[in-house]
Amino acid sequence: MSVGDSAAPGSSASGCAGPASSASGSTATMGVRGGGLSWLVVGAASVTGLLAFTWMFFAGPGSFLAAAGTDGTWLFSVLLALLAAAVGAQLASGAFDAKTVALIGVLSAAGGALRVLGAGTAGLDPMFLVLVVAGRALGPLTGFVTGGLTMLAGGVLTGRVGPWTPFQMLACAWVAMGAGLLPGGRRLRDDDAARPPRSERWLLAAYGLVAGVAYGFLTSMWFWPVMAGSAGGLGYDATAGTVANLTNYLSFWLLTAMGWDLPRGILTALLCLAAGPAILAMIRRAITRAGFAAPVRFHPEERL
Amino acid sequence: MIMGTVRAVPRLLHPLAWWMWAVAMAVVANRTRNPLILVILVAAVVLVAELRGEDRDRRMTLFLWLAAVVVGIRVVAQIVFGGGAIGTTVLFRMPQVPLPEWTGAVRLGGPVTLEELADALYGGMSVAAMIVCLGAATVLASPRRLLRYVPATLYEVGTTLVVGLTYAPMLMDDARTAWAARRLRGRDGRGPREVARVAAPVLSAGLRRSMALAASMESRGYGRPGAGRQGTRRVAGAMVLTGMVGVALGVFGLMSAGTSRPVAAGCLLVGAALATATVWRPGGRRPPGRTVYRPDRWSSAEWSVLICAGVSVAAVFVVVAADPGALTPSTVPLSVPDLPWPAALGVGVAAMVAWTTPVPPDRMEHRP
Repeated sequence: MSVGDSAAPGSSASGCAGPASSASGSTATMGVRGGGLSWLVVGAASVTGLLAFTWMFFAGPGSFLAAAGTDGTWLFSVLLALLAAAVGAQLASGAFDAKTVALIGVLSAAGGALRVLGAGTAGLDPMFLVLVVAGRALGPLTGFVTGGLTMLAGGVLTGRVGPWTPFQMLACAWVAMGAGLLPGGRRLRDDDAARPPRSERWLLAAYGLVAGVAYGFLTSMWFWPVMAGSAGGLGYDATAGTVANLTNYLSFWLLTAMGWDLPRGILTALLCLAAGPAILAMIRRAITRAGFAAPVRFHPEERL
Repeated sequence: MIMGTVRAVPRLLHPLAWWMWAVAMAVVANRTRNPLILVILVAAVVLVAELRGEDRDRRMTLFLWLAAVVVGIRVVAQIVFGGGAIGTTVLFRMPQVPLPEWTGAVRLGGPVTLEELADALYGGMSVAAMIVCLGAATVLASPRRLLRYVPATLYEVGTTLVVGLTYAPMLMDDARTAWAARRLRGRDGRGPREVARVAAPVLSAGLRRSMALAASMESRGYGRPGAGRQGTRRVAGAMVLTGMVGVALGVFGLMSAGTSRPVAAGCLLVGAALATATVWRPGGRRPPGRTVYRPDRWSSAEWSVLICAGVSVAAVFVVVAADPGALTPSTVPLSVPDLPWPAALGVGVAAMVAWTTPVPPDRMEHRP
């Protein structure tokens, strides 16, 4: 647990990893290159993704999507899967080094494993603990990729890959990205020695509660037109307006999905309270040990 | 017949063939609300998945349950909240509960008609059949095998995912060990605090392994960025951005009644194509000379799968084109759905892949 015992292996780890990364000439400290381009791509993907979740509220009567009805759900599923591939290629290609691949891989393994272990317990998802803490430790952009990959790994591991996967991936990416955007995160990531404030666990828990519920609120939205059918006052009505459909969706969510979403949020909050700071410290230590944040300088004379 | 020779050597089919077949079946399910056709379709898909599933442990049971839940929710929601909106044949009356004003249009209880139940059942069955079809894809060819076919630009993402999938079972083993240790110390291992106690050592061990893995990957030359990729990356980034703006504009166009549909749809398609094209852009970082280990073959069995799938999709589209109402049986007035035989035959053709494809290696005794 203490930082002291990790000092010796830490120096050896960065010792073997350091020269390789300096030879590669990489200037990025880790993960996704934080540049305007990456932010623009994530932003554009988020806007398109938000449309894919919420199209049913804005499709005007008589429009193509309103006429397509539930087929819109499948259209957006395919669209999101294509965009996820494009965004993944753009953010990761040429930007992920071996350490990023290994770290994100293991984090998504942890998330996926928790998803498998939690699958038996009434749909409770302990995976969100990993998403929240990883987003906080890795920052918004790398968190975005980690969130999506964690969900995909969980889907493949539980054998539940389907039209819902792109939506779940995007929602998880948002959960992790949001955790990366929480106040005070930049100081934690820039300065290895910075200690998180005492209120850290409460911040993570509060965010976990909100994110766990919001995730369910969003992911129930995509299948709502398919699931609820035309049950009066609950289902999607292509001829009704935005407000009517919003109230219908709210009733649907309150009556059905909230029963799962609220426990998920509470569980995430409790897990963050119990283990959040410890796991955050672990991931930060892993980042430090890999020398991710060490500024890499190339000295030709040292190669002799 | 050729089938005998095709079937001679047990092997796994190319995963893309199975996935395309499953998606085609899902399209068929999406196009029809005729319960008879849907039952035949689900039976065909389950038969193929049981006979040609890649792994005996992966079964369709999970997806059949999921499908049943979808139908159940749809029908129960209609009974509880339907309020007899359509139809006149009242089966029974649910006790009606007056709701406060703020609940909007929600009605609780009231008359339940046969017509609305049939409507909910047909709609639910269509969605359920789609779920079964897409679930069959993961049973027939695991998504893991699809990972081998990711394009070079997704190499990093694919590797990350493979690392994740490989480490997850190890972490689960670690978790079981840690959990057993907790129980030996007299804890019951329940509740969030216990989950946290188990999660911490497991994640700590996993992260230590990840650093060892990274060191070994770097020492084997993984993660050498190519020179001069910055420019390609900027061009690709611009293409992704333009593509996504196109997609968003297209979606906005399709959401409003005023815009011309071809323009909006074109905008969406061009945008999606532009963004997706970057995935297959040249100069993705596949090291020159990287080869695929034992690539899956694409031979006559794979073609037979595609042809069977194509025939059933074509059959359904032809039936719908000839008579738009043929696959959506009328619910008001309610009539017994008849069986459009061309569509049924088409679905039957799709089931033939169980005989035109080779047996998976570990289940020889399952020859039909």
